[in-house]
Amino acid sequence: METVFVSELKPFLDAVAGQMDLYVPKNAGSHYVYIRYDPSAEAPVEFNNIRACTPVKEFLFPLRELAAVFPEPLEPEEVKPFAVFGLKDCDLRSIEILDKVFTEEEFEDPLYTARREKMFIISSDCFEPGESCFCNILDGQPFAEGGFDLNVSQVKDGFIIQVGTQKGKDFVEKHAELFTTMPDAALVERDENRAEAQKQLERNNVQFALDVPAKDVVRTSYDSDVYDEEAKTCVECQACTRVCPTCHCFYLYDTKQKDYFGKMKMWDSCMRRAYAQVAGGANPRKALGDRLRHRLMHKFSYFLDRYGIDMCVGCGRCVDAEAGGVDIRVVLKKLNEELKDKGKKKAEATK
Amino acid sequence: MTGNLYQPINSKIVDIIDESATIKSFVVVPETEFKFETGQFVELTLPGEGEAPFTPSSSPRETGKMEITIMKAGRLTRLLHECKKGQLVGIRGPYGNGYPIDDFVGKEVYIVGGGVGLAPIRSLFLTLVDRIKDFKSVVCRFGARTPEDFIYKKTLFGPWQQIQGVDIKLTVDEATGQWKDNVGVVTTILKSDDVNVKNAVAIVCGPPIMMKFTTLKLLEFGFPAKDIYLSMEKNMSCGVGKCGHCMIGKYYVCKDGPVFTYEQIKDYPNIWD
Repeated sequence: METVFVSELKPFLDAVAGQMDLYVPKNAGSHYVYIRYDPSAEAPVEFNNIRACTPVKEFLFPLRELAAVFPEPLEPEEVKPFAVFGLKDCDLRSIEILDKVFTEEEFEDPLYTARREKMFIISSDCFEPGESCFCNILDGQPFAEGGFDLNVSQVKDGFIIQVGTQKGKDFVEKHAELFTTMPDAALVERDENRAEAQKQLERNNVQFALDVPAKDVVRTSYDSDVYDEEAKTCVECQACTRVCPTCHCFYLYDTKQKDYFGKMKMWDSCMRRAYAQVAGGANPRKALGDRLRHRLMHKFSYFLDRYGIDMCVGCGRCVDAEAGGVDIRVVLKKLNEELKDKGKKKAEATK
Repeated sequence: MTGNLYQPINSKIVDIIDESATIKSFVVVPETEFKFETGQFVELTLPGEGEAPFTPSSSPRETGKMEITIMKAGRLTRLLHECKKGQLVGIRGPYGNGYPIDDFVGKEVYIVGGGVGLAPIRSLFLTLVDRIKDFKSVVCRFGARTPEDFIYKKTLFGPWQQIQGVDIKLTVDEATGQWKDNVGVVTTILKSDDVNVKNAVAIVCGPPIMMKFTTLKLLEFGFPAKDIYLSMEKNMSCGVGKCGHCMIGKYYVCKDGPVFTYEQIKDYPNIWD
């Protein structure tokens, strides 16, 4: 893939913002959030070392939106092209997951696809993975090799920009004056940085490493007590599903406006008690442990069966956000240990 | 598929039939042509109030209108029961798979229904009766709380029982009025010689507890799990396999169901709750 170089980020981002709305990460203390880029701002452009604390789904599938108007349908507003800078590999993988759900041929969600088509993705390498990041456990890595229009890697003397799509290529060609010659050692430096970040991730997650893929850890765990045990401290804050970039449950509700009825679409959470309850009162997942199990099963088994990929990217946002301290890495690890014990017992029994 | 998945088709309630103290049937006419297969469901919107899934109870042969039988069970159904003729409603769908009627050809079709579960069953029944010669027989075992609680009384207590090839038995939990027939939950009138399990399929629709014990009874009779068809009515919201509310294990009831064989779902936890 083609790579170009800039010594400063600002002219590059100004050029993006000249073409479309641009969202950039802003350091909000212990984490990053996204704000609209302001080319006239004096503060230097921030290069986020880690993913934002908010999920990328916000750009494609907002917390709440008007899904339909009744009785006279409303022509949807045209979505303007927009760019998001600083997305990480985990974010790109989460977009791939959402695409599977919302752009499938049979039932394409027009609200999602309208935004998706207009999104210009500028990802960047993670050079300081966080304490909660565990993408390496789920075959992820701290840098992207696909799924972006442009990817930015920071090196000593500037930024390497890699082209990922025709859209990205068109941008680079249009703004050829921005780019300078790549310093000789830049690519080597980038690869060293990437390797270091990867090592950092591995060090952080030694205690969470699984012996078998997550799907095999959860698949036989229906009767496991681990879910009830681990859900004991859950306070049903639902933060895990809100910040999760792959959780995509929503509910539809109806509103009365002055001159129309609106059908709204809003994020929902499978950790909510009444989530699966029907009007008659039946509820297949009354207990918290049942809901935690369903959440993990959906992520590592059901979604995989249907779409061929896991529905978790190991971004660790849920670990950071959890008010009750439920840690998905711990749940997986405990199931892993339980599975190992079962295996041992079985082996002993057959001796 | 084009257009907006979430946009209901404007429809009108043209007639309302009182079926029992808590159940009414609504005759709904969609503004544009609307076809469904028996067993598929629709999302019915009461504008400004909410939306819920229902399986039409009329024959799919009638394409201009459909009947939706609704029990007062929660907030939305209570509001629906207050609706008058002429009420604007919305319909999305049809969704899901419906009953695989062609797989039933040449077999005895054993239908066990309870309460408002007779709604989808009526649509199925009318569809089967249209081509009754294709099936060895249609054997129905229906239950209700009391005789008054049976829905479709006019046809159920008379004309349906006269149809050649159809065998209907009814039971009530509690006999009231002139009831001289069976008393007891529906499983008490299921007999192992009702049908020959080697050449039969069973269809079950009713309250969860009734579906559970009926399924257990059918298994006891020797029905293979793959020949027991269950209408799983869960909390379907989007109807298109995305919102997640109706999941049973890996299945979206809205997309992969609502009709499942017991074989498909038997290993998942809490399917009857």
